[in-house]
Amino acid sequence: MFVLSQIEHNLPMPPHLLSRPLLDAIKSELERLFLDKVVANLGLCVSVYDIRSVEGGFIFPGEGCSTYKVSFRLLMFRPFVGEVLVGKISGYDEKGLHVSLDFFSDICIPGHLMQYGTARALDGRWMLKTEDGDELYLDIDDEIRFLVSSIKYPPIPVEQKEDDRPFAPMQIIGSIKGDGLGLLAWWAADEEDGEDEAER
Amino acid sequence: MKIEKANAGFLTNFEVLDFLRSRGAKIDPMGCLGAVAASECKVYEYLLKTPACNQTRESIDEFVTRCESFKLTNADKLNVINWRPSSAADAYAMIEECGRRFSKDERGEAHNEDERVKEFLELVKEVLPPPPPKPEAMTE
Repeated sequence: MFVLSQIEHNLPMPPHLLSRPLLDAIKSELERLFLDKVVANLGLCVSVYDIRSVEGGFIFPGEGCSTYKVSFRLLMFRPFVGEVLVGKISGYDEKGLHVSLDFFSDICIPGHLMQYGTARALDGRWMLKTEDGDELYLDIDDEIRFLVSSIKYPPIPVEQKEDDRPFAPMQIIGSIKGDGLGLLAWWAADEEDGEDEAER
Repeated sequence: MKIEKANAGFLTNFEVLDFLRSRGAKIDPMGCLGAVAASECKVYEYLLKTPACNQTRESIDEFVTRCESFKLTNADKLNVINWRPSSAADAYAMIEECGRRFSKDERGEAHNEDERVKEFLELVKEVLPPPPPKPEAMTE
């Protein structure tokens, strides 16, 4: 789920931070710049892992801040394709389910990547009809285990209409087609027989 | 900004949890305002709910050495360490192409894949500590 990424950045250090010890000031500037933000193709930055080197400290003409070339590692949230994650269902619409991990909520499970036989029930919820005729609903706040099928980083839109969803810079598409995937409750009950439902 | 190495190493949930703990993250959101940001606290709380919360470095090292014979890829090992499969269905979900790969054992002879899966699950149960029981049962 988490990956380290090594980055080098020319960091301008604003003058009001010059009284603090250098490493602390650099760390807080890096956190202000990167923490909780998505970097394209690298993922969501969770934390500054460590600072490997600091060089420079030059002051460019016409500026009041000194610029440091900092090489550091960031702890990024970037699941790989094929990784299994557990999250909570946060909503559903006609395209599929929305799942959220507490710190990341743009995960979508489209209808075509659900177990064979899942369809929308009359009240809008997604429901799986099993071989035995049971109807297993996928409700909000259910814990669901899914496989990461792809990660998209859509480009920032130039303009947004009023009631569009807020822009999601990183979107994960998940799949629950397969053994052991889907609601945790479906697989927890029978440990001996294996499956509760068939996907064939 | 220049990306020197986009991938400088994968981390298991346990390592991230350890790192956040050493920075001073605590469950209480007011207690860790100075050292750790709110978004880091959210990650910490999420990780506490996964099986990583009571793992130790030694148990992970032991697991990695002992599962040599199963020839798992790094991705499989990461999935297993992070989510601790407890049943055959879990193992099939977490290990890619589980049926095909487990049908031969380490000497390349044909083997019963269910038995290999059972062996593997026994190893997981023995080495990695079980996740703490959930506070309330999930009822539908």
